[in-house]
Amino acid sequence: MRFLPLAGQEHEAVQETAEGGHAEAFDLGEMLSHHILNAREYEFPGFVWHMPQMDPIHLGGMTIDFSLTKHTFLMLVAAVITLAIGLVVARTISRRHVTAAPSGFANAVEAMVVFFRDDVCKGNIGHGYERFAPFILTLFFFILTMNLLGLMPWGGTPTGNISVTAALAIITFFVVEISGFFKLGAAGYARTIFFVPPGTEGVWKLVMLLVMTPVEFLSKLTKPFALAIRLFANMTAGHMLIFSLLGLIFVFGNMAYTRWVVAGASFAMTTAIMMLELLVAFIQAYIFAMLSAVFIGLMQHEH
Amino acid sequence: MTANTWNGVAGTLALISASPLALAAQEDHGEGGGWDALFSVDVGLMIWTVLVFGVLLFILGRFAWRPMLTALDAREKGIQDAIDEANRQRDEAQRLMAEHQAQLADGRRQAQQLMADGREAAERLRKELEEKARAESATILDNARREIGRERDAAVETVRREAVDLALAAAARLVSERLDGERDRQLISGYIEELGRGGAEA
Repeated sequence: MRFLPLAGQEHEAVQETAEGGHAEAFDLGEMLSHHILNAREYEFPGFVWHMPQMDPIHLGGMTIDFSLTKHTFLMLVAAVITLAIGLVVARTISRRHVTAAPSGFANAVEAMVVFFRDDVCKGNIGHGYERFAPFILTLFFFILTMNLLGLMPWGGTPTGNISVTAALAIITFFVVEISGFFKLGAAGYARTIFFVPPGTEGVWKLVMLLVMTPVEFLSKLTKPFALAIRLFANMTAGHMLIFSLLGLIFVFGNMAYTRWVVAGASFAMTTAIMMLELLVAFIQAYIFAMLSAVFIGLMQHEH
Repeated sequence: MTANTWNGVAGTLALISASPLALAAQEDHGEGGGWDALFSVDVGLMIWTVLVFGVLLFILGRFAWRPMLTALDAREKGIQDAIDEANRQRDEAQRLMAEHQAQLADGRRQAQQLMADGREAAERLRKELEEKARAESATILDNARREIGRERDAAVETVRREAVDLALAAAARLVSERLDGERDRQLISGYIEELGRGGAEA
């Protein structure tokens, strides 16, 4: 397998040859990796933005690169959009619609906020959910915006990057564990790791402790891991599917008549998958936020 | 595509079998990182994510979610209050309605009672008056009868006296003309005696 360079110019060259009828030069894999993977430049129609780079920081044997990348940039865009929507809607609701429901976009956001407050936070966390509602809401709207950015023309989805989803999952992990620690106390929290099932006697206590402790410990780590992988895999898979279907046009680009049939079918399929992806963008954001609430609730009600 | 796809599958399997921390160590992406860049962990991007999310959570939590949730709570409370108030007013209205109906019924009952009482009183009064009139007329009749009786007695007495006087006058004339014998005298006084006894009897 060949490591593909991510440089934009090279990709453009490949596309040009594909459009020029030399389909054997078109590499679908390269096209996919180019659109899905992170990059250090951002392609707009007509020009390529080479993002400003900085030298990686070496910190205790780890090399950390804070340079702006495509996904970092998109994440910042998503954050700005989320902020703008949140602040504008909050302003609309708290200034003008305290007594009556707002209409239009603010109402749509409000419906989601109410749903998350009542069904996700209150339903899963229960008593004391108010402290977690902002966290769950921020998770949902931030992830949703990032997911939807992937469906925009010239966009891309930061949630299709494992680093982003892993970081979000790690945040959830710490929120779950730290809030659990404060709620249960040191002894209560320790029991969520060193677990002895009630009703065991004598030597069986030790046996169960030895068996259950790794299980409990793993279950704590599996939850955020599953969160990260689920979101990442769903977003990546959807985009792979879309680009693969579009790529078929170029794969069949040198066939006289077939290419039109393929192009038509590809167009129809892509549109259908795009619709599905719109749904998936919402569903995955919802699942991430909802499962976070579930994990927080499980931890809060551990006895 | 197939080669790359299989590579992706292999990468997924590798990721599943490895812990995230181990992946952080083999961080290797950027120029020349093909499909394995898909699963490489970019610590810089992770820190970016945490920072951006932290800032977002702070600002949104403070200036978006809190006012939004507060406003929603206020609205819901307002709606609940309105419902409660409406229920309260409905109950109040029903209570007042029942009260008014009770009062109305009471009034009607009282009116009927009054009417019945009035009718009864009138009847009683009528009977009383009738009774009184009857008694009075009886008294008057009685008095009249007694008066008539007395008058008759007086008249009878007068007539008897007149009769005696007449008889005496007649007798005196008769006697003055031819009465002179002892026998006649006895006859007349016997007769008069008899009359006086009969008059006392009558």
